[in-house]
Amino acid sequence: MKRRDLLAGLAGLPLTALLPRIALAAGGGGTVTAVAATETPVLLAFVNTSSTIWSAKTTEGLLEFDHDLTPRPLLAAEWDVAEDGLTYTFRLRQGVKWHDGNDFTADDVTFSLETMKRLHPRNRSTFAHITAFEAPDPHTVILRLEKPTPFLLTALSSGESPIVPKHLYAEDADPLTHPNNTAPIGTGPYVFKEWVRGSHLIFDRNPNYWDADLPRVDRLVVRFITDAAARTIAFETGDVDIGVRTPVPFRDLEGLEDLEHIVLEPQGYTYSPPNITIVEANLRDPILSDLRVRQAIAHSIDREALAKIVFYGRATPSASAVVPYHKDFHLADPSPYALDLGAAKALLAEAGHPDGVTLTLDYTSEDQRLVGEFLRASLSRAGIALELRGQDMGTLIARIYGDQAYQLHLASISNLFDPQVGVQRLYWSKNIIKGVAFSNGTGYQNPEVDALLEAAATSTDRAARIEAWHEVQRIVARDVPNFPLVAPTWLTIANTRIEGHTSGAEGAYDGSLRRLAVRA
Amino acid sequence: MTVIDHPLRARPKRRPLRDPFLLLPLLVLLAVAVMAISAPWLFPGDPLDMVAMPYLWPLDDPAFPLGTDSLGRDLTAGLFHGARATLLVGISSAALCLGFGTLIGAAAGYLGGRTDLILMRVTEIFQTMPTMLLVIVLLAISDPSLTLIVVAIGLASWPMVARLARAEFITLRHRDFVLAARALGYGPFRIVFIEILPNALPTLIVATSVLIANGILIESAVSFLNLGDANTVTWGSLIGAGRTQIRTEWYLSAIPGIAIILTVLAVNFLGDRLTRILNPRLRA
Repeated sequence: MKRRDLLAGLAGLPLTALLPRIALAAGGGGTVTAVAATETPVLLAFVNTSSTIWSAKTTEGLLEFDHDLTPRPLLAAEWDVAEDGLTYTFRLRQGVKWHDGNDFTADDVTFSLETMKRLHPRNRSTFAHITAFEAPDPHTVILRLEKPTPFLLTALSSGESPIVPKHLYAEDADPLTHPNNTAPIGTGPYVFKEWVRGSHLIFDRNPNYWDADLPRVDRLVVRFITDAAARTIAFETGDVDIGVRTPVPFRDLEGLEDLEHIVLEPQGYTYSPPNITIVEANLRDPILSDLRVRQAIAHSIDREALAKIVFYGRATPSASAVVPYHKDFHLADPSPYALDLGAAKALLAEAGHPDGVTLTLDYTSEDQRLVGEFLRASLSRAGIALELRGQDMGTLIARIYGDQAYQLHLASISNLFDPQVGVQRLYWSKNIIKGVAFSNGTGYQNPEVDALLEAAATSTDRAARIEAWHEVQRIVARDVPNFPLVAPTWLTIANTRIEGHTSGAEGAYDGSLRRLAVRA
Repeated sequence: MTVIDHPLRARPKRRPLRDPFLLLPLLVLLAVAVMAISAPWLFPGDPLDMVAMPYLWPLDDPAFPLGTDSLGRDLTAGLFHGARATLLVGISSAALCLGFGTLIGAAAGYLGGRTDLILMRVTEIFQTMPTMLLVIVLLAISDPSLTLIVVAIGLASWPMVARLARAEFITLRHRDFVLAARALGYGPFRIVFIEILPNALPTLIVATSVLIANGILIESAVSFLNLGDANTVTWGSLIGAGRTQIRTEWYLSAIPGIAIILTVLAVNFLGDRLTRILNPRLRA
């Protein structure tokens, strides 16, 4: 007799009302296999922001977020933000235990936040205005700020600000090389079991999770499959159940979509929206410092065709670096320089290049090469010859941000949960820092933009912030220090045998997957 | 006297062109050469330009007999222009190897002694490095261009030629005709280049065919790995670009793949037959 029949039989008994609860608590059990293209350096996003993908599975933050970024309780049960935006009070959840059996307390929270203020690449500036981290009792945390930080609450997710156990970090331990990075102990729904590099990762169900109903699967396995086509096959055959951020070639999505056992889930990408594919111009270059040359380039770009041909229609054209996923902040205006090859040629001639120009375009990775090849073909029609120069990430960063010896740079820039955190760095003149990757690499300086960005960074009035950001986008669209192109669609690909993987803004990538279950 | 064991001047008695293993490779290589030479006339535009609907299958549209790729680029034009780059890399890297390797090998073999010792140790250092790895490293640390790929392949594969040349020179330098030349008062350059080298050439020519094939394969592998020059079409880059669509548009990888297989096979067969024709001991 199958279990399903047994349950059906039991349904007739007076116990019916309790049954769904029992079925859930039993967990459905089972193993869910996730797929990843590459391995992250470590498993904890505490001070290493390139290792977010599996971090929240073991290590939680204070809050989680609805699809519209409304905060919901996680390790913080309640919170209060003072009217002036300068005091934040968190009441922590009681009875939470670390995976090693110790109690979770307010000291863990203050330690984690303070350490991130020192060492986390982004929280360094997000927490810059916090002057005091106080723990008046074991279940209360108070943050005191000198200036408002309107996106502070949003930054307190599991992926962005994970809370780590203070007792594991001795006084002089270096968080960058701490063993907890590769075998994390957290409060999360899954307990780290093993990591065989080049092969797989295993997380087991946390039996002492603070939410007694969760998690509902016994084991979460992550398989590393480097070949894109092989990942498609793994989904087709059911070898893997879930993958995030469109883990297969765009070409294969149509075929997968037709399969009965596969769903493509577009939700779960509001916390970390898809990157903007963007071409940056080096404004120090004698040719590109001429606005007319940049206008000519802008006039020869067809974003719709790029989205259609290179991304098989699975990308959103965007003339702004703030992607359309940020519904309020994104400025939907088209580029002031519409597709017009005649205008492009005229501008080039006016700038002293009647016979066209040759420019180099630096890129890394295979996906970007195709975008580069599309751009080369498009721009050649306006008399702009692009020479593509592919390289590994290290060489690229040294060339663009170190030596600043480049002309055009094809990049993919993450927006994150607030344009202040993701996009400001591209345009703020104080972000022109030699050697810092993915900062203001173009060398763009505009006092007006600086003032608007700085005002928006410390304003508690959301409408005013949005207006400031719209104005910034209008100005940079005219100045064209860079050419935002498209935001490729991120989809979670999942087998229909599992559910509960996309329950909020953080989705399966930034989120903890605590509601994940195998369907009965 | 020397003329008797001078194989280049001895005419083979058989008619080698009747041999299909010589004739077919020659025809294949001739076809590739014609493709390479005619590419700029037959396909004057940029082979990387988007010219038609993406994913036209071969024979779908007579204007694009081999179809188009994901960006709508003409695969026929790519194949013809790719032949240029592929042949260029194969031949120039082999020439570079041959020149450099022979020079080192000749010096070591002819001079012997301490020179030989030092040169051979240097050769061994290069020999212990895996060719492919050395090429990848060289390309990864600098800007990939076709010239650099040629130099990298040449730099990674010359030790074989150097060792062959050295062996030949060691055997030949004590032959009577060399002693006679010395007795006549010829200088070392004349002895090395006019007297010994022509006798060592058959072995080296055969080695060259292997080098050409090797060069083509390494270039293809490098382009396939996306380390090649993104501004030049090569057969390897065509396969690399078609790789993600291999389950749907397999022709994008298969057609340039077949071209590489045929060319490399042809060069290898040619080398094999040349050995028989040039080596007097194998000639019946």
